[in-house]
Amino acid sequence: MEESPADLASAEFSSLYAENSRAIYYLALRFLGDPQKAEDATHDVFLKAFRKLDQFRGEASLRTWLYRIAINHCQNLRQAWHDRHMFSNADDAVWENAAAKTDSPLRVLEIKELGQRIQKTLAGLPDEYRLLLLLVADEELSYEQVGALVGQSPDAVRGKLHRARKAFAALFEKNA
Amino acid sequence: MKHQTKLSQEQQQQHAAEHQTQQQAVREFANAEEMLRYDAAHTTVPPGIAQRLQKSTGGATEPKTSWWKRLFGGTNP
Repeated sequence: MEESPADLASAEFSSLYAENSRAIYYLALRFLGDPQKAEDATHDVFLKAFRKLDQFRGEASLRTWLYRIAINHCQNLRQAWHDRHMFSNADDAVWENAAAKTDSPLRVLEIKELGQRIQKTLAGLPDEYRLLLLLVADEELSYEQVGALVGQSPDAVRGKLHRARKAFAALFEKNA
Repeated sequence: MKHQTKLSQEQQQQHAAEHQTQQQAVREFANAEEMLRYDAAHTTVPPGIAQRLQKSTGGATEPKTSWWKRLFGGTNP
């Protein structure tokens, strides 16, 4: 029996969701820092994707395309909060002088509290570092793809990643 | 009977000690990304998202078998 275009669209979307929902939800969760907002954001991102699936031109991977929608959505949400609360991130220079070594392993005793500690650490980082670490943590993305998502060259991504790791390690130790 | 009680106490103490050791085992991550990968792998996507999406997209596709039922094995919310 032949499948209708609606069935094909549904099957494609089902596959898209199954393969990418964890990555998008995790980005939203750790970028926004709130499970309920992350759930809403993930729903909105996939709904946008569903409505624009026929516009996907295949120039990037579907994962990258979804990340672009998610980043724009989450940044818009955060911008709205910033405008309301006049919140500002610490100056990048603070992290340049961070004491932690990037080649030292990060140690944790209580794995059950890891999520909270990660969230607290990420929340203290500049948005740029937070986003960079979350994207680089996705092994499906190359430095080129991460660079395209954050508007940087692959070399710039590598340089900033070094500083982001250092900042994360310093703050993670502080939050112990 | 008394022997059994003592054995049971010893087993409980051993179990508690093992549990404590497991909880206090140091886990090392080479860098932030490795830690985030571990955290992501242990993060569960709330099933409510798929159900909400089914409602949001339902009118547009009306497939024979809804995509979220295929994902979650046809269980009702």
